[in-house]
Amino acid sequence: MNFLLDLAIVTVSCLALGLASKYLKQASIPAYIIAGLLLGKSGLISFESYDFIQWLGKIGVILLMFYIGLEFNYKGIKEPRRLFAGCTDFAVNFSVGFLLGHVIGLSLVEAFILASAVYISSSAIVISSLIENKRLIYPEAETVVWLMVFEDIILAILLVILTSIMAGSLAMIPVSLAATLLLIVFILAFIRRLSNFIAPLFERDDEIPVLLIFALIFGFSALAYLMGILLHCHISEVIVAFFLGSALAGVKSFRKLLGTIISFKNLFLTIFFFSFGMMFKFQLAALNSADFVLALLALIVLSILGKFVSGAIIGKRLHGSLETGLRVGAYTTPRGEFSVVLIMVVMEIGVLELLPSIELLLALVVTYVIILSIVGSFFAKHGNMISKRMMMGFNKLMPRAHR
Amino acid sequence: MQISELPEIGTKYEIETPKGDKVAVIFLTTGEIELYVLESGADKPSVTRLTSEEARRLGSVLTGALLTIEHEDVEVSFADISDLRIHIHLCPVTKNVVGKSIEDLAIRKKTGVTVVAISRKGQSIVSPPPEMAFEEGDLIVAVGKREQIKACQSVILGQG
Repeated sequence: MNFLLDLAIVTVSCLALGLASKYLKQASIPAYIIAGLLLGKSGLISFESYDFIQWLGKIGVILLMFYIGLEFNYKGIKEPRRLFAGCTDFAVNFSVGFLLGHVIGLSLVEAFILASAVYISSSAIVISSLIENKRLIYPEAETVVWLMVFEDIILAILLVILTSIMAGSLAMIPVSLAATLLLIVFILAFIRRLSNFIAPLFERDDEIPVLLIFALIFGFSALAYLMGILLHCHISEVIVAFFLGSALAGVKSFRKLLGTIISFKNLFLTIFFFSFGMMFKFQLAALNSADFVLALLALIVLSILGKFVSGAIIGKRLHGSLETGLRVGAYTTPRGEFSVVLIMVVMEIGVLELLPSIELLLALVVTYVIILSIVGSFFAKHGNMISKRMMMGFNKLMPRAHR
Repeated sequence: MQISELPEIGTKYEIETPKGDKVAVIFLTTGEIELYVLESGADKPSVTRLTSEEARRLGSVLTGALLTIEHEDVEVSFADISDLRIHIHLCPVTKNVVGKSIEDLAIRKKTGVTVVAISRKGQSIVSPPPEMAFEEGDLIVAVGKREQIKACQSVILGQG
């Protein structure tokens, strides 16, 4: 009966904090992480099986990436304006994280991880805030949405690189990379080849479509795992799910199942956020240390500034307006699910020699994501006001500067 | 009209009037439809969220198939046939007709009105057979010119 007890704790606490966050009009991602923090290893309750909850959470990550792959739009992103915006966003914000990671004494790999987590905005928060705050009529809404799409593809690339680096030795990196790419090509070809056979199965009204989806997802994940063992490297099942999703997006009848996928994703992803908080051991001593607080503050301030700088460049180039650009910056401030996914994937396969200060890195990212998802939502909500104020500030500083 | 795709959100159709007002319709992936109106110079847009049913109704008004509703009466006219005005009328069954069929009452012959549907206990019977008898509580959907509908109401149903 014990697993039921664990499940009850997870779902009830997430429900309670989730509801609270909705009433307070806040993003719910930090609520679930905090639920895990309060009740997990650093908190009140000792779970019968941490593994069990982590497994469920892992399904959430796989489904998230599957969904992102499904919704990914390869054609639209090739447009030069969108590419420019995406590259600017990456160049500015990744560098900010990387440099700061280096300054606070992280290893190169760790700085790379920190940079990835700091760079990537939360699509979930950004997009729901665009809708809720009624921004869709403004031209920058389109720019922001396509930025999120671009970040998705960068996320996939970052995950491939990170899992390959974790292969262990330098010599294994190309093997791991090649194996991943091979598997991706195999999946794309497999689905394309069999799409005539698969498509009618998705149109059935019984349990077969759902079974088929999960069979494909778990089947290919298992294949990735087995290949990893065989080659002594690691192929991320998360990447596999992403490309499986984008391959299935081409199967017409599949769109019917989108609602089902989203429901499963929402449930398991919530458990994932909980499990992420749960695994984290709060060490108050570490959190209280002046160095940590300083590093965290620097990270928060610089990464917010980073999004405003990249936003300003994008706005100036795409919309011919600095103020619009600042709005883009404000809207893309929230960080969330992807930062967590990145750090979790790395943690799971982390080779400890490569990650000497993993405790510090983890503590940084957990607190950073919780703070930035809340602060970011605030920025996204009041983006118009903030950018207006900033413009007034600029104009005061440089009275003769042209807008 | 400007059409743009917003991944994960939906598709946006936007139009800007010469005055600078903007109207946008966004088909969300959830199946709902958001209607934005942004007056030029305004700080914030007004937004409403419609179900697909509401959007369809609104759409048919905007496309110019003129619908004037007085009570339960709908007048339909088509842009291409300007002299055609069809009235669709919804009338509850009266004691005069309960138990009688469309054929018995000779509705068409006496008034020119065609009964196109009967709504019975929440279910619609489209194109009811002439021998079908009316029951208490039925709603009749009748089509005809305005005068014909009036005639039907007074002669057949015994109203006013």
